[in-house]
Amino acid sequence: MATAAQRRIKSVSYAKYGYIFILPFFIVYCIFSLWPLIQTFILAFSENGTRTPAIIGLDNFKTILATPSEGDFKALGIHDSFWNGMKNTVIIWVGNFIPQIALSLLLAVWFTDLRVKMPGKGFFKVVMYMPNIITAASVAGLFLSLFGDSQYSVINTLFRSGQEPWKIITSCWGSRILVMFIQVWMWFGNTMIMLMSGIQGINESLFEAAEIDGANSRQTFWRITFPLLKTIMVYTLLTSMIGGLQMFDIPYMLHTGNVVNDYIKTVAVFVYEMFHANFAKPSFGYSGAASVILFIITSILGALVFYVQRDKDAIEKKRKQKEAIKEWKRKQKGGGFSI
Amino acid sequence: MNKLKKALALVATLAIASTAFYACGNSSSTANSTAESKAESSAAEESKEESAEESKEESAAEDSTEESKEENAGGGENKVPETGDKLSILCWTGDDVEKMIENFTGANEQYKDKVQYVNVGSKGQEAREQYANYFAGGEDADLFVLEADWILDYINNDEYTAPLSDLGFAASDFDGCYPYTVSIGTDNNGVLKAASWQATPGGYVYRTDLAEEYLGAKTPDEMQEFVKDWDTFTATAKKLQDDGHKIAMADTLGGMWQVWQYNRTKAWLDGDKLVIDDYCKEYADLAKEYYENGYVTKEDQWSDGWYAIGQDDSTMGYFFCTWCLGSGSMLSNAEGGEGGKTFGKYNITAGPSGWAWGGSWLALSPKCDNGEIAHDFVKYFTVDENTAKDYALFKSEFVNNPKAMKAIVDEGSNKNDLLGGQDQFSVLYEAASKIDMDGKITAYDSQIKDAFNTVVSKYAKGEIATYDDMITEFKKEAAKIEGITVE
Repeated sequence: MATAAQRRIKSVSYAKYGYIFILPFFIVYCIFSLWPLIQTFILAFSENGTRTPAIIGLDNFKTILATPSEGDFKALGIHDSFWNGMKNTVIIWVGNFIPQIALSLLLAVWFTDLRVKMPGKGFFKVVMYMPNIITAASVAGLFLSLFGDSQYSVINTLFRSGQEPWKIITSCWGSRILVMFIQVWMWFGNTMIMLMSGIQGINESLFEAAEIDGANSRQTFWRITFPLLKTIMVYTLLTSMIGGLQMFDIPYMLHTGNVVNDYIKTVAVFVYEMFHANFAKPSFGYSGAASVILFIITSILGALVFYVQRDKDAIEKKRKQKEAIKEWKRKQKGGGFSI
Repeated sequence: MNKLKKALALVATLAIASTAFYACGNSSSTANSTAESKAESSAAEESKEESAEESKEESAAEDSTEESKEENAGGGENKVPETGDKLSILCWTGDDVEKMIENFTGANEQYKDKVQYVNVGSKGQEAREQYANYFAGGEDADLFVLEADWILDYINNDEYTAPLSDLGFAASDFDGCYPYTVSIGTDNNGVLKAASWQATPGGYVYRTDLAEEYLGAKTPDEMQEFVKDWDTFTATAKKLQDDGHKIAMADTLGGMWQVWQYNRTKAWLDGDKLVIDDYCKEYADLAKEYYENGYVTKEDQWSDGWYAIGQDDSTMGYFFCTWCLGSGSMLSNAEGGEGGKTFGKYNITAGPSGWAWGGSWLALSPKCDNGEIAHDFVKYFTVDENTAKDYALFKSEFVNNPKAMKAIVDEGSNKNDLLGGQDQFSVLYEAASKIDMDGKITAYDSQIKDAFNTVVSKYAKGEIATYDDMITEFKKEAAKIEGITVE
């Protein structure tokens, strides 16, 4: 017979404390993340110009996506600026991701290579990560004074004194390339650290074996590091893509005066501007619809990346396994011919 | 022991949960603050009689317009409680408000340390949105500053502004102000919601040394001959270029537009329809001509470059209005501050056409809990001729009181060091009486102005090829703003 103490121990379930402890997170999450998410979807189908909008259906999506008629300036304005934003977002993201991943990968490989005995690795890692710590507002301010349109900006004082100043901030490709550069500069350290942890996760003995077998560093990279790094790369691609589609701060702040430069206006800036354009009559509907469109695009691209990067061997293996089971079952029933 | 642990765990959980909520700031604290303010107002109810009496006594002693106040139904009595600790004045810049507080508390010893400036945003446009958020929170808000570009948003919304009659003002108290400031501060129902402490006529501020060297103009009157209308202004700009001086006449396209837009005869909106008149075309063509020929600098208004051109002979002058001329203001920045390269080397003339720029109004928050100080503060800067005059000389501000300004001009006592000792008021006094912004401002002016200036500057730079394309772009931009229809 169990003593009273034993019985009590049996009946104590610690699970509920676990739930209690994680409860605050879920409450906060529901109020500040889940509800806004649902609210965005509701707003996407709601009218514009009021703070208490009623549901109107698909009109906002129609305005943004459908080709508007010639004289309808409102639809033209919204349609055009959304697609302009989309174009800019894609251009700037692609232009920042490719150099960024190349640079990060190169540095990650160098920093983790056992044969490269670089002094002060930690120092470089910190320095390279540093831009990410600076707030975007300061970065924008810094680059505005470096590359500003004014004849007094650093670049124009250095190279264009007495001549017509370069107008990088307001030019089309100048401003785009500048934003790409800023994004690369801000994020390559972060990506590098992520890739380094990926490389360090690869079994050391593989590298050693390769070295013993006489593989040079290029072969080691393409045959070992790169294939085994794929999962981390996919993760980087995906997070960068989600972040890139929502790119907001630098494009929004890199301008003088009151108006955001059209050539670097991203979809996120469009979303922000639509409901801020008129303080008294905010266009929540268009902003919501644009956000939902962005959400859908992100989901599709995410699914696509996973589809392309799926483990083909494993899938093949599974398929074969299933077939084998089917075959076996058929045989159990007594040959494949009698149905 | 176990129970103790359980209790501890629960307390820890609650603590975490509550800190999580606490961090969530404004929106969640709305409910609290309304409860609070209710409690406050009931408490205020008790002390109301007391403070009302006090303020009556005071105003009887100081205010000569007591009688007219009594006549006005609803006015006369300060209905706002005096329970708050400090009078908080909200604005997006301390340029004005801090000077006002300094002047006000200097003259009213009893309010020393009882008035504070609260910074809300760093630009007017930011403040416009921030105010609403700020009011939703629980912080103290008594008076706040509104800009001409978007004042209509706020004064037509009773949630954000209370009538000035709550402070005990009658409409007739403001008879001494420029009438246009009063009509702009009046909402759609004819209730006075905001009072301005300034009138904002502008002129052309030019470099005296360069004017003499290049044009031979020794006095402001002589200079005025070179800039007396737009044709002459353009001819002067052309002459300077032809003579081989690499100098512009106008500071920025933005500055030119401020002058130009004032002479529009219509508001931007007719009802809710966008109005595009001949002025738009004339201005766009002028802007292109000026930009291409170097008659205007290629800097942006409000950028660092805008100030830098004031010191390196890039521009002959600026289009500046009253609030650009005080200490610590735009002209001061353009001169490089005291001891700057061009400090005191500017003079002001009337310029090619009369104009006014913006203006700021003081509005009363319904949450105000310093009725007495608020009343005295508003009175000090808007109603009272003597104190307004005092402030005019203190800040080099063109105050909203023609009598006070006339007195200063007649005395000739104002000497602006930034203008080499010239009295800007004598030049601007004439212009001020002609300001007529009545019916020409709309709630959307700042956005429409931004949209228009953006397309014009693209047109001037050649990024947009033709005027028609420019107008199409402009219409598209304007139509995006909810509440505006474009045909």
